[in-house]
Amino acid sequence: MNKIWAITKKELASYFKSPVAYIILIITIAVFNMFFFIIIDSNQEATLRDVFKVMEFLFVFIVPLLTMKTFAEEKASGTMEFLMTTPTKNTEIVLGKYLGSLIFFTLIIALTSMYYFIIEFFGTPDRATALVGYLGVWLEGAMFIAIGLLISSLTRSQIVAAICSYTVLFLLYFSMSFIQYTQGAAEAVVRYVSTLSHAENFAVGLITTADLTYYLSSILFCLILTRISIENRLWR
Amino acid sequence: MIRTERLTKYFGSTQALKSVSFEIQKGEIVGFLGRNGAGKTTLMRVLTSYLPASSGTVMIDGIDVLKHSLAVRQKIGYLPENPPLYPNMTVRDYIRFAAQLKDVPAKRICAQVDKVLNECYLRNVARKPISTLSKGYQQRVGIAQAIVNDPQILILDEPTNGLDPVQIQRIRELIKNLEEERTVIISTHILSEIEQIAQRVLIIKDGEIVADDTLNNLLCDDQGWRQSLEEVFLRLNQ
Ligand SMILES: Nc1ncnc2c1ncn2[C@@H]1O[C@H](COP(=O)(O)OP(=O)(O)OP(=O)(O)O)[C@@H](O)[C@H]1O
Ligand SMILES: [Mg+2]
Repeated sequence: MNKIWAITKKELASYFKSPVAYIILIITIAVFNMFFFIIIDSNQEATLRDVFKVMEFLFVFIVPLLTMKTFAEEKASGTMEFLMTTPTKNTEIVLGKYLGSLIFFTLIIALTSMYYFIIEFFGTPDRATALVGYLGVWLEGAMFIAIGLLISSLTRSQIVAAICSYTVLFLLYFSMSFIQYTQGAAEAVVRYVSTLSHAENFAVGLITTADLTYYLSSILFCLILTRISIENRLWR
Repeated sequence: MIRTERLTKYFGSTQALKSVSFEIQKGEIVGFLGRNGAGKTTLMRVLTSYLPASSGTVMIDGIDVLKHSLAVRQKIGYLPENPPLYPNMTVRDYIRFAAQLKDVPAKRICAQVDKVLNECYLRNVARKPISTLSKGYQQRVGIAQAIVNDPQILILDEPTNGLDPVQIQRIRELIKNLEEERTVIISTHILSEIEQIAQRVLIIKDGEIVADDTLNNLLCDDQGWRQSLEEVFLRLNQ
């Protein structure tokens, strides 16, 4: 437990010691603000539903930037050899790194909570719906991070990690666009795999077991695969 | 303390280790010698469980490295060939991080970190980010990291690489002054260094051990004449 936390702290510190973290923070907040204004201005409703949609879309772009270095950098610089020869369990390494990225991501989301307060000031939004919506975007980001972590564990190049993460996240996010070309079982699979079909429900305030299972099981699955990947040195 | 049996290691079709067997007793200081690409680093990586051997076994303190790698890693302090450093961390933060990962009890971490910073002459740079240090200082941070948990076994891959003569002398003293029951394995290309600290030498050639003897025996030829380690090394590597 202590070791997980030690690694998490190290990861967080490394985010804040590189300019990348600040660039990501500033850009996301700026972009979110812009969309928030446009959406509220055009909808004239006190709801964050469409804001959540924009957030999910933007996370497809942001998360790979957060996760690309997690393992790839350690491998390229040789510190992986240090980590893996200390008496630290592979599970602890994976969890520590995952928590580091997750906490940084949570920070970005927390900064957007001001939108809720803005609409609460001017209207009467439904509190529960907004909270559920936040849970939805948070889960989605948590899943994206797990995917990014897995991909970063498979290569020693940050660029390769970023490009592959973008590809996978785009496929997941846009898979609904392929649904018209599929039928039967294939259609059901595409619908299930698509993140959009699951995120939708959260955005309107619905929590279903199917959606929760989708997110939590994919996170678990990716983390286990990451562990296997570093255990077997799959990047060589 | 360390026993290997018929270790082999393949990287694709190249064979980096060919049936390497040896035994190292507790308290011995052993030098690994060999030309570039002989397989010293690979052998050390197998000993530390970083790389699994293709076949053969490594037993450390009676424990199989592959089966119980966590227990083994607890006993080993390892300095890889390229010191594994986080450029953005300060020296003290990094050593503290290493101490945490190496199971130094929370109460002793501070004392232990201070101790190794002193031993490796890093006190005056403790607050600097590692990326701003010179090569030799970075190498010393790598050594400090390896000894922070007082490991029973020290495996150092070219520890004096990039150090100035004064520091080489100090690292040599440091290794010599480690308590009696420490087992130390060192690889280096500086033969005089081995002559000064090692009691025993393993010479590796193309993944095979071609000489495994105490320094004194190696330095005496058949007729009992003294010869230099360099002569022995060159003869064996012809
Ligand atoms: N990851 C790897 N993939 C493929 N081949 C490798 C790998 N690591 C080492 N080798 C090969 O194994 C052999 C032994 O390499 P090793 O690094 O152990 O040599 P060394 O004795 O440490 O050399 P040096 O004195 O230059 O450090 C070399 O032929 C090298 O090319
Ligand atoms: Mg080497």
